[in-house]
Amino acid sequence: MYNSLDLFQTAGAMARNAGARQAVVARNIANADTPGYQAQATAAFKDVYANGAIGAMRTTRPGHIGGNGDQPRIEMQKTTVGEPSPNGNTVSIDVEMLNSAEITREYDQALAIYRHAMTVLRTSLGRG
Amino acid sequence: MSDFGEAMSISASGMKAQAARLRHVSENIANTDTPGYRRKVISFEEIVNLGRPTGEVAAGPVRLDQAQLKQIYDPAHPLADDGGYYSGSNVNLLIEIADAREAQRSYEANLKMFDQVRQMSSALLDLLRR
Repeated sequence: MYNSLDLFQTAGAMARNAGARQAVVARNIANADTPGYQAQATAAFKDVYANGAIGAMRTTRPGHIGGNGDQPRIEMQKTTVGEPSPNGNTVSIDVEMLNSAEITREYDQALAIYRHAMTVLRTSLGRG
Repeated sequence: MSDFGEAMSISASGMKAQAARLRHVSENIANTDTPGYRRKVISFEEIVNLGRPTGEVAAGPVRLDQAQLKQIYDPAHPLADDGGYYSGSNVNLLIEIADAREAQRSYEANLKMFDQVRQMSSALLDLLRR
């Protein structure tokens, strides 16, 4: 752990992912009454992680293989949950609320991991 | 952090749009008995900035409901025509109340999102405090 401090990076990436997803949920809820709006979603952290976007070889320049900047891209895709309403809107507020609660939990989890790792480091420095 | 800022401004735009809708609903209800009044309806649209949707929402232009005005029989009314009828408003209170309730629910959902994002960002700032 102390060689690379991957734990901090992973926890940070998880928190960043949760923040981006929360923004998408906010967008869906704000547009819950917009005619023709289609609900959107981004991939959960575990899928992004499984695809190896985080913790893979570091790309520090756009010219590097697989490099499009340092941040993993967050892809948006349209979701279809149930029937669209007569005006073509596919947002379901209860599903979005559920997603938002789950995202908040995930975010708290990431921050707790980060905080704990920090405590371990502090303790090892003797400033516990 | 910019994700949080974006999420908060999107939620705020949603609340603003729902408030505008509620304003028009109250206008309609207030004018239920105004002769010749047509109910105002607004529709929501996404704000597009430089060809890219920002995700924020805004209340669109006001349109007048083109449904037929209610004909009321009252020969003593100053606006009554030869047959004794005058046209009232086309406001249906039931629809307005349902619309107001829907606006309220959507407003609450936006407010909840705003609060949740605020909590998340303050939890992030708490990390610095120790």
